[in-house]
Amino acid sequence: MSDGEARTDGGSVADGEGRTVGGGSSGRPVEGNRLGWLFEPRLATVVAGSLALVAVAGLVQVSYGAYSMTVGQAWRAVLDPAVLLDPRWLLNFLLGEGLMRTVTGFQGELPELARETLVVWTIRLPRVLVAVVVGANLAVSGAIFQAVTRNELASPFILGVSSGAGLMILLTLVVFGGLTAFLPLIAALGGSVAFLVVYAIAWKNGTSPVRLVLAGVIVGTVFNSLQTGLFFFANDIGVVQSAIQWTTGSLTGTDWEQVRMALPWTLAAVALSLAGSRQLNLLLLGERTAKSLGMSIEKVRFALSGVAVLAAAASIAVAGIVSFVGLIVPHVVRNLVGSDYKRVVVGCLFVGPALMVGADVGARLGMSVLTGADAQVPVGIVTGLVGGPYFLYLMRRRQNMGDL
Amino acid sequence: MTIFRANATESEESSGATEPAADGPGDAAEPSGADGADGPGGPAADASDLDAEDLVLGYPTAPEPVIDGESIAAEPGAVTALVGPNGSGKSTLLKGLANQISPEDGSVLLDGRDVHSMDTKALAKRLGLLSQESTSPDSITVEDLVYHGRYPHRGFFERTTAEDARAVERAIDLAGCGHLRDREVGSLSGGQKQLAWIAMVLAQDTDVLLLDEPTTFLDLHHQMEVTEIIETLRDESEVTVVVVLHDIEQAARLADRVVALADGEVRARGPPEEVVTEELLSEVFRVDADVVATDRGPRVTPIRARHEE
Repeated sequence: MSDGEARTDGGSVADGEGRTVGGGSSGRPVEGNRLGWLFEPRLATVVAGSLALVAVAGLVQVSYGAYSMTVGQAWRAVLDPAVLLDPRWLLNFLLGEGLMRTVTGFQGELPELARETLVVWTIRLPRVLVAVVVGANLAVSGAIFQAVTRNELASPFILGVSSGAGLMILLTLVVFGGLTAFLPLIAALGGSVAFLVVYAIAWKNGTSPVRLVLAGVIVGTVFNSLQTGLFFFANDIGVVQSAIQWTTGSLTGTDWEQVRMALPWTLAAVALSLAGSRQLNLLLLGERTAKSLGMSIEKVRFALSGVAVLAAAASIAVAGIVSFVGLIVPHVVRNLVGSDYKRVVVGCLFVGPALMVGADVGARLGMSVLTGADAQVPVGIVTGLVGGPYFLYLMRRRQNMGDL
Repeated sequence: MTIFRANATESEESSGATEPAADGPGDAAEPSGADGADGPGGPAADASDLDAEDLVLGYPTAPEPVIDGESIAAEPGAVTALVGPNGSGKSTLLKGLANQISPEDGSVLLDGRDVHSMDTKALAKRLGLLSQESTSPDSITVEDLVYHGRYPHRGFFERTTAEDARAVERAIDLAGCGHLRDREVGSLSGGQKQLAWIAMVLAQDTDVLLLDEPTTFLDLHHQMEVTEIIETLRDESEVTVVVVLHDIEQAARLADRVVALADGEVRARGPPEEVVTEELLSEVFRVDADVVATDRGPRVTPIRARHEE
C-alpha cells in the first residue's frame, strides 16, 4: 500500500511496449510532507485505538484500589491543576526531589495536595506509566529482533537476554543477598552480557540469523538450567517468591523511581529504532540483497540488536522479564499497518503500552474480582495468558508462520 | 555517468567497445544529476570496466575452490553472457565479481580499483547485482521495493531526493512495470516479481550490472520482457552488463560476448557466433546439437544428451 494519497499521482506509467531510456521524471513527490506517512489512515487508527485503550485501562487502574474513589474523582485527580500546572510537582515526580530542587532552586515545602490527587499521583499513576514504558520497550525490541533474525517468532529475549537476566536475578537473590538493592541494574547487565555471549558464539567470519537464533537457544538452555538449579539453594519462600516475580515480570510496587530509571534509556532506544527503520526495511529483503545494495550487514545487524537489547534491558530493570508482549505486539502491528518498519515501530510504540497497561489491570485487580482475595499476580502471567490464545488464533488463521 | 543517455541510439556492438576505460577510476563514479545531457563521444567511451584476474573462489565448507584461477573481463558498455551447465561455477563467479564472496586469491578490478577494498556503499553505487530468488515481505509495494535500490545513494539520515525520484521513475519505466507500481509484491506472479526486482537494481543506477539467471523460471512473455530490458541497456546505455543465462540461444542473441564455463574453468570466450558451436555444445554441455547461423544469431537445436561411460 502506498503512503497515503500523496504518492499515488502516477508519474509516467509506461506499459510493456515502447520502452524508453530516460523516461518520466515525476512520481513520488520529494517527501515534501516529511511526516506524511504518519497520517496513513491504518496507522492513525491503530494509534488512536491504542491511546483510547491506554486511557480507559489507566483510568481503571487509578480509580480502584485500597482507597476507593469514583471514576469521576480519579479523573479529576489525574487532571488536578495543583500538579499539572505546578512545575515543581511535575519535576518532583519526573526527576526526583533532589534534582527538582537543583533545577528550580526551590527549597521550601511543596504545596499540599488533595488526598485523591496524592493517592493517584504518587501511588497509582506511576505504575501505569511504568507499564507504558515497559510495553513500548518490549514491543520495539521484539520488532527489531524479528527483522534482524528474519523470523516472526523472535522475541526480545531470543538472543539470550532473558536467560542472562534471570540467572543474574537468581544469583543476586540467592547468593549475593547484599546486592539486592542493585538488582534492576544487575538484571539488565546480565541480559546484555548474555546477548554478547550469544553473539560471540554465533560469530564465525560473520554471522547469520540462523546461527544467532541457535546460539541463543544454546545459551538460553544452559543459563536456564543454572537458574532453575539455584532455586534449590533459596532458603526461604520469600526469596523464591521474589525471584518468581522478577523472572515472570511484575509491576507490583513500581513507583516514580522506576519511571525515572527507564525513561532516558527508553527515549534513546526509541529514537535509535526510528532512525534505524530504513535499515530494518532493507534487512527484510534478505542478506544478499542488503549486501548488494551496499549495507555493511554485520555492523548494522549488531548495532540494531544492541538497540533492541537496550530497550529490553530497560524494561527488565523495572519490571523483570515480561514474556509475550515483545512477541505478539509486532505481529498485531504488522497485520494492521503492513510491513514497512517505519510504521511498524511507531505502531509498536502505541500498541505495546496498550497491551501492557491492559494486562496490568488484570494482574492488579483480576484476583480480587475473581476470588475476592486482595492479591496481585505478576503481570507476566496475564500477558502469557493473553498471548498464548492469540498465537493459537494466528496459527490457525495463517498457513505459513515463521518466515518474515 | 548515468545509465540513461537520451541520445544514445546507435548500437555499440561494432565500434570501439574494446577501448579500455583506463581514464582513471573515480570520475565515472558520480552519477551526473543532469539527465538527458548529451554523452560525449561514442558510446562506451566512459563505460566501466570490470576485470577479474586469476580469481580463486570457493566456499568455506568445501575443500576445493569452485573457480580456480580464472581471469575474465567484462567488455565495457557491452553485454557479456556467462553460460555453462549446472554446477559449472557461473553463479559463484558472478558472486565473486560482485564482492559477495571474497576471493581466496586474485582480484576483481572495477576501473582499476580492487572491489574488495572499496567501501561497500561506494561499490554499490557503481555495481549492482540481481541475485536468484530474492525475497521480500509480501506487503511491500513495487514502488517501495524499487526505492530500496536508492539505498547506496542515501546517507543515514537523508530522505529521498528529486534525483532518487527520477532514478526510480526511469527504472520503473525501463523495466516496464509502471502498471504494477502500487501492487503488493506478494500478489504478483513470478514474472512480474522479477520485473520489479530488475527495476530495483536499475534504480541503483550503476555503471556495472550483474544479473544471475534473470530469465530462469519465467514464462516466455516475461523472458522476452527481461531480454528486452537487457537489449535496451546494451543498445542505449553505457552500462556494462554481465548476465548468467541457461538458454544458450538467448545468450547468443543478447550478448556481445559469451563466456562458456565448465567445472569452474573458462572453456571458450568470444563473440557468440564463435563460441556457440556444435563442438562447444558437445564438449561443455554434453549434448549433440545442430547449430545453424541465422540473421538472428545461431539457432541451436538439441538432438540428444551424450552419455559417456
